[in-house]
Amino acid sequence: MRDLALVFEETTVRYEPGGEPDIAGVSFSVAAGERAALVGLNGSGKTTLLLAAVGLVPHGGAIRVCGTPVTRRTAAEVREKTGFLFNIPEDQLLFPRVIEDAAFGLVRKGVGAEEAFAKAKQALDALGVGHLAESPLHHLSHGQKQRVALAGALVVDPPLLLLDEPSAGLDPPGRLVLAWLLSRLNAAMLVATHDLEFAARLCRRFVMLEQGRIVLDGADEAAVRGRWRLDGPA
Amino acid sequence: MRTSWHDIWGCGRGPVAGLSPQVRILSGAVLFAAVMVAPSTSAPGILTIGAAVVSWVAACRPSRRITLSFLLLGLAVFLPYFLLVPLIMADSSGPATGWTHALAAPWSVFLRGMAGMLISTATVTTLSASDLRRGLLDLPVPNIVSAILLQIVHQAGELTSETKRVGAAIAVRGGTGGWLAAMRLLSSLPRVWLPRVIVRAERVALAMEFRGYCDSDLRAFGRSAMTSADGVALALALGVLALAAVLRMRGAG
Repeated sequence: MRDLALVFEETTVRYEPGGEPDIAGVSFSVAAGERAALVGLNGSGKTTLLLAAVGLVPHGGAIRVCGTPVTRRTAAEVREKTGFLFNIPEDQLLFPRVIEDAAFGLVRKGVGAEEAFAKAKQALDALGVGHLAESPLHHLSHGQKQRVALAGALVVDPPLLLLDEPSAGLDPPGRLVLAWLLSRLNAAMLVATHDLEFAARLCRRFVMLEQGRIVLDGADEAAVRGRWRLDGPA
Repeated sequence: MRTSWHDIWGCGRGPVAGLSPQVRILSGAVLFAAVMVAPSTSAPGILTIGAAVVSWVAACRPSRRITLSFLLLGLAVFLPYFLLVPLIMADSSGPATGWTHALAAPWSVFLRGMAGMLISTATVTTLSASDLRRGLLDLPVPNIVSAILLQIVHQAGELTSETKRVGAAIAVRGGTGGWLAAMRLLSSLPRVWLPRVIVRAERVALAMEFRGYCDSDLRAFGRSAMTSADGVALALALGVLALAAVLRMRGAG
């Protein structure tokens, strides 16, 4: 049996104490190296589930990342094992220059600045934005920011990637390139998206959320399309 | 004459831009203190303030557009204080009366305000965002304070872009542009902009927490070495501050 990179066991999230759960008893796992798409319409709970997985939102039930239970105490350890792409890349780009932002994860781990910059440059090159290394972040387009944010997540070589709407705002060629780049990685991935075409290019498994509950888990893209009635009236 | 938040940073091309980032910040801060301390109602005090501002702006050499923009902004902010003159004249409870006395307070606010604004702007124009980060981290400021200050500057830039988008949306939806759109933008700030800022701040806070931004030692990115030019610049700035303090202690203003 393959090792599990991410496990949800009866995971529940409530933003309002005592209110209806925003995530209600979700259970599934992602194996090491597996790529799974977390599909759902707006407001279905995809982002909340990803945030809970790295301890940014309190949860009930259990979540484990590479065997480590996600608790307040272990949050730092869990985040070291996880690369996270936020929905809006501007939110996670915290440094004025591209190379500094991409290198931050390594510098934080104690890698010397020079080595960190060299590795960050490699990560940026691999994503096709190496030529922007010295650019100020505010000069970049949305797609370029997306790749820089991804480089910052990948540079530390995490075993698990959580990607929140990675194809949002990208043009069709940009989406294709991103799917291709991600498909070359060995890390396990949970890709939250409602872009089925993108998800199908990258993943062989679809976990579907509706109102915080899993309603479908399998390899059948057609089942997702059917549930959303994307194939038109019968 | 609109000036973008991002345009201001690092556009100065004077000799100050060649100094270490921390010395640029420190010298600017010392000169700012000097113009606040120097007496504003005596000839030596006014000369000291004027000379400090003119020399610093010349040494930073910001673009003409930015200097003019901030001059106009300063005039718009500080000139209205002179409207208080008739009220001060009419106040009979004070110890002194007359035009000289009535003008002293608004003049002091105007002179120091303009001088402080120009010195701060000129200093900022010598710093790119990366310079600011290096400079702040090399100063004896707690890491967390530097980290938060830097994030405020960084996010302020992003918010400026967001404000422009809100402004464009208001202009398009209201079918107006220019000053009318600007006024509409201003009146919509509490309803449109503030909620966006709050939501965005929450998202950025999550990202900062995830990436461990606030508990990281950002000095690890490298430090700037001091040169003899840095020492000279700092000594000159401290000299101006000392002169301003002496003038003040002598009661020259």
